[in-house]
Formats: sequence, structure tokens, C-alpha cells
Amino acid sequence: MNDDDIAAVMAEHEHEAPNADDLLTGLRSRRRRHGWWYAAAAALLVIGVLSGVWAVVSGGKPTAKRLAVTSPPVVVAPLSCPTKYAGPTPWVPAKPRGVSGNSRLAPNETPKSVLMCAYKGSNSGDYSVSHWALAGKRYVTGNLAGLADELAWQPRKVLGEDYVCGAVGGIQTNYLIGLTYSRGTIWVSASDEPNHCVGGTNGEFIALPSTGVDATKAFTTGRWPDRAPISCRPDAGRLGQDIAMVPPGAVSLTICTDRAHTIKSDFGKLVSALNSRPTDLGRGVCSPSPKTDDEYQLIFGYRQGPPVSINVYKGCFPEVYNGTLKAEKAGSAIPIIRQLLGRH
Amino acid sequence: MISLSTGSVRHKSGAAIGQATRSPGRRILMGGGAVEVDEALSSLVADSGDRLLRVAYQLTHERAAAQDLVQEAILRVYGSIRRRHHSPDDLYAYLRRAVLNEFLRTRRLRSSTELVTDSMPATTVVGVEEAVVDRAALWGRLAELSERQRAVLVLRHYERLTDSEIAEVLGCRQSTVRSLAMRGLVALRSAVVFEEERE
Repeated sequence: MNDDDIAAVMAEHEHEAPNADDLLTGLRSRRRRHGWWYAAAAALLVIGVLSGVWAVVSGGKPTAKRLAVTSPPVVVAPLSCPTKYAGPTPWVPAKPRGVSGNSRLAPNETPKSVLMCAYKGSNSGDYSVSHWALAGKRYVTGNLAGLADELAWQPRKVLGEDYVCGAVGGIQTNYLIGLTYSRGTIWVSASDEPNHCVGGTNGEFIALPSTGVDATKAFTTGRWPDRAPISCRPDAGRLGQDIAMVPPGAVSLTICTDRAHTIKSDFGKLVSALNSRPTDLGRGVCSPSPKTDDEYQLIFGYRQGPPVSINVYKGCFPEVYNGTLKAEKAGSAIPIIRQLLGRH
Repeated sequence: MISLSTGSVRHKSGAAIGQATRSPGRRILMGGGAVEVDEALSSLVADSGDRLLRVAYQLTHERAAAQDLVQEAILRVYGSIRRRHHSPDDLYAYLRRAVLNEFLRTRRLRSSTELVTDSMPATTVVGVEEAVVDRAALWGRLAELSERQRAVLVLRHYERLTDSEIAEVLGCRQSTVRSLAMRGLVALRSAVVFEEERE
């Protein structure tokens, strides 16, 4: 290896860099983002003055027609960190305002600003509410699109279902992530703790635990981390996995055996086979654990949001489990998996 | 990093960045002449954006991170120019230095466990195809070097700067630059064996 090799490798990857057009768009949006509440305040002032003038001109008796024309302005108050994390985890200080929080942990759109509040403590001993005092706050400004993509597709935690959790004691950091949009705000909680058992919530939607580690990285760097490439390891899953074994829209399949087999097409039959099995909510612990060659982890990737991970263990009960739904028998899925692996 | 402070929108360095939006007609000196502030931001990006992004990508190996890095650097320099009503003679060099500083500053804050790359392939390389694989490995290994080692190698091999120029950019001595480069190259060589070395 010589100096030319290093220069050549760098030159080979030069074309992968983003271009200046994207940069200018980003800069303009950032400048707008930082100045948005000035603009909002100015707009409110103008609206207030015009309303006063209009009231005087019309003799203080606005007609129904005029009221219909002048819809009330959207007032989005800036978020600020509560001094205490004042509830059992997961907790948020307020329900979503002006945006929907029923169907997703956060809207599927890039927020205008993101405030993070950190509350540090321990998950062992007496960790009563009073112990979760505000330890720090910061604005996250990098990769807000990635943050939105991650939060919007978090899988729903089905209430009433229990999940296997460890009991390791250690440091726990609870985060409140305050997302501001043009029409409203939403708080999302995330907890980074040793057992990965505390889910997230926005006050209406409860998600399975998965965003705590990313929240710590974002709080440390000011940038929401990029999603890791698909790999053969357990994953928290994806929105919709409580309704279908494979939520719609999968664009790739990775079959994990002793190694990863990536399949980009022709896995529609497998999706149909998995989704046609009768399913039930519940834990998918294999009992008893048999020796079998048909033991797979299927990871379906999507254009947006995290993948869904499905365990298929022939001879187990259940044989198929996606983290939320279980199917007693894999049925035709196993021959199709074998066929895909043979062709791969 | 941008943060809100009481009563105004300010850059962390202290430069007000929201003011340009509120007074778009203000004129500043830039590149030897007076231009509108929004135009100034556009010309900063148009003149140096692509080149800076390529350098930032060499440093970070991540598109989004490269974009964030350059955005942050441009906003800093933009604020500085607005404050001083004067732009440096070599604006690109000034911006590149800001990118390097931002890279070294932010990466210091990141967890050392955050960057995970594939393990190196076996090094019994005999054919052209495998030489290509080794180049991919070299690219991966570059990402595993320390931030300062990577910065030195990018400035030396991509930006073609001399050691004295690199020392000036990084604010250190030439001997430090040589040491960082040497350690970086040793780390790369220990991991990557090219076909020509085996022949």
C-alpha cells in the first residue's frame, strides 16, 4: 500500500458526497427554523393589529360571514423542559397539542425544532418521582428527518400483554423529546436503561422500548444518529406488527441462518404465507427448545422506518413470532424460506 | 450547535443569525464587494459547497453527517463575516478550517463505541477482484482511524496540502502532523495488504 492507494480510494468515494443544492436547502430551512418564533410573533402582532382595525371599522360587531373568513391563527408556544420528570416511566408532561398522537408515537414529518430534556437517576433502590430532576437540556439540530422517521414508525406496545424483562440495576436516564411543528407540539419520552424494558409514549400512544440508546447519542452530539444497517440481531420492530405479521410495504428481506442472506425481490409469497397464518397477541418464548435445522430470523426492511424482525422456529410453540404477534404454526413459510435460500 | 437564548436567536459563538432574515436588505462586504446577506449565504454555498461537502464526506464517511458538518461551518463563518463586515482572502481555506474544527469538536463528544464497521476480509489477495475488495476494506479502515489521524490523511492525500499547511489548519506543529500521519498509515498497513506488496 502506498500514498497513491489512499488518494485513489478517497477519489473513488468522492461521488458519494452530498451536493451543494441539498446544502442550500438545508441551510435555508435551518435559518427559518431558528427564526420561526420571531416570524410567529410578528404574524400574531400583525393579525392582532388588523383585527383591532377591523373591529373599529365594523363597529365592533363582526358578522358571521366575517368570522368564518378569519379563522383563528395557530399559536404554537415554545416548549421548555419541566424541572421534574413527574411520573412513573414512561411519562410526558402534556398530551399532543395540534398534532395527532393516537396512531403514532410522533407525526411522520420532520419537526421544525427538537428540544431534549434529560433526567438522570438509577433504576434500583428508591427512585421515587422526586429523584428525577432535570439534569440537562439541549436542542437537537442534526438529522431531524431521521429522528422523525424513527419515532413515527415505532411499534405499538399492546396494553395488557407482558414482555420478558431483565432486572439489572444501573443508571437510568429518562428523556423528554419536545417536537415542535408548524401546527402544534408533542412530547415523546424515551428511557435509556440497562434492561431495555421502558417503552416510549406521547401521552396517547405507547411504544415498545427501543429509542433510549439513540436518545442518549442525540443528547450527547446534538444529532439524531443514522439508522444502523440491517443486521442479524434482535430488533424492536415496526409500527403495524400488532396487526400483521409482516406490515405492508416491505422492500427487502434478510434471512439470518449462520449468516445473513439478503434478498431484494420475489419474497412476496413468503409475506403472503406469513400473513395468512392465524395469529394471536402474546409472548413468543419457544418452549421446549428443540434442536432443529429450521431456525431462522427474517428481517423485512422498508423504505421508511425500522425493519420488522420475525423468528421462525420449526417445532416451537409458537413457530412464528414478530415481537408482538405469534402464530402457532409456520405452515408453508418454511418450504418457501428453504426455496429462497436455495436460490440465493 | 445552534441554541436559543433569551430574547434573540444566536449562534453559540455569539453571532446573531436570525437577524439576516429580519433585515434582508443589510449589505456586507464579501469577496471584496458589498452584497446582500442572503446572496452572501448563497454564494458561500455555490462557490465552496460541493468541495467542502466532499472533504466533509471524506472525514465522516456519512452523507448526513457531512452535510451537518458543512452547514454548521458555513453558519459559523457566515456569522463571523457578518460581525466583522469582512471576509478572509482565501474563503475556501477559512471554511475548510471551520469544517475541520467542527469535525474534531463534535467527534470528541461522540461515544467511542458508536462507529462500528465490518471486520476486515482475509488478506490472501491474488486477483484484481480481490484488490477491489481490499480497497473497500481500506475505505472502511480509514473510518476507524482516530479523528485527528483521519483529518491529517484527508488533508494530505485528498486536499494535497503540505505538512506545514496541515499544521496550520489543525493548529499544531509539523512534527505532530508527521506523527499522526505515520500512525495512521501504520494502522492502515497493518490491516490492508495490497496485491502489489505480495508480488
